[in-house]
Amino acid sequence: MIWQLDLILCIFIVICAVAAITIKDLLAAVIILGAYSFFMCILYTGMGAVDVAFTEASVSAGVGTVLFVAAVSKTKRRSKD
Amino acid sequence: MKVIAIAIILLTGGLLIYGVEDMPGWGDPDSPASSHVSPKYIKEALGKTATPNMVTAVLGDYRGYDTMGETAVIFTAGIGCILMLRKKRKGEGD
Amino acid sequence: MLEYIISKYNFWVYVILLLIGLYAMVGKKNLVKKLIGMNIFQSAVILFYVSIGVKKGGATVPIFLGNAHAAHGHGHAIIDVASYINPLPHVLMLTAIVVSIATTGVALAVLILIFRRYKTLELDEIMKIRKETGV
Repeated sequence: MIWQLDLILCIFIVICAVAAITIKDLLAAVIILGAYSFFMCILYTGMGAVDVAFTEASVSAGVGTVLFVAAVSKTKRRSKD
Repeated sequence: MKVIAIAIILLTGGLLIYGVEDMPGWGDPDSPASSHVSPKYIKEALGKTATPNMVTAVLGDYRGYDTMGETAVIFTAGIGCILMLRKKRKGEGD
Repeated sequence: MLEYIISKYNFWVYVILLLIGLYAMVGKKNLVKKLIGMNIFQSAVILFYVSIGVKKGGATVPIFLGNAHAAHGHGHAIIDVASYINPLPHVLMLTAIVVSIATTGVALAVLILIFRRYKTLELDEIMKIRKETGV
């Protein structure tokens, strides 16, 4: 993989991770976590791990986000920190 | 709380960055992980399992029991979620 | 110097991701934030393991090219090891991803139970209620 593209993807991933743990709105944090998983999926494809990439896209970004959104809708949406 | 957390992550981060120095370079073809066991799998997977995809050959044929145990893990997690979140009947405590 | 940075910066990014997850697990007080931190931690470890199997210099995805059936028929095919990526970390991390989503599901179920009993998700408020009522 071209290392400049790889570096840009890594920076996006770190920005998504920092945003997901600092935002006070929990629904927004969960959606950003889904975006983080999709960026991770692009990174796996660049490394050549196609099986891991589509498992990550379907299981972690799809089912995981659905589970988190369901849990947030059953509880509170606001967070204090 | 915050001070303790920052101290913990600084300690862990220092140890991990120190450990990165001894790792082989990223994508090195002669790294120990790529030179001991995996050449055997890459050479023999097609002849022994007749599957062109090496990952599914190892997942389904070489490590079939591992995948079956993983299914048991998913089943247990699903049963646990159902038992925790169901509506309680009358007269059933807490 | 640039060579050294190019060969190591991926590992530094993985360390940074792991530290972000660890900080969210230890320092944040909201329980959903702790779970998000746990997810980030797990995916950092998975990313590190997948990156172990990468081979630079012409290696492709671990799927056999060309006449796979003909090679199987004749028994001994000449397979160049250097042209395929190491498949073993991918297999182990497939299992790890599915198990991580199972643990996340059980953790979210426990979190809903905690919210039903205490009506809050902040850890300090939960500990205060527990101290006052003794439950």
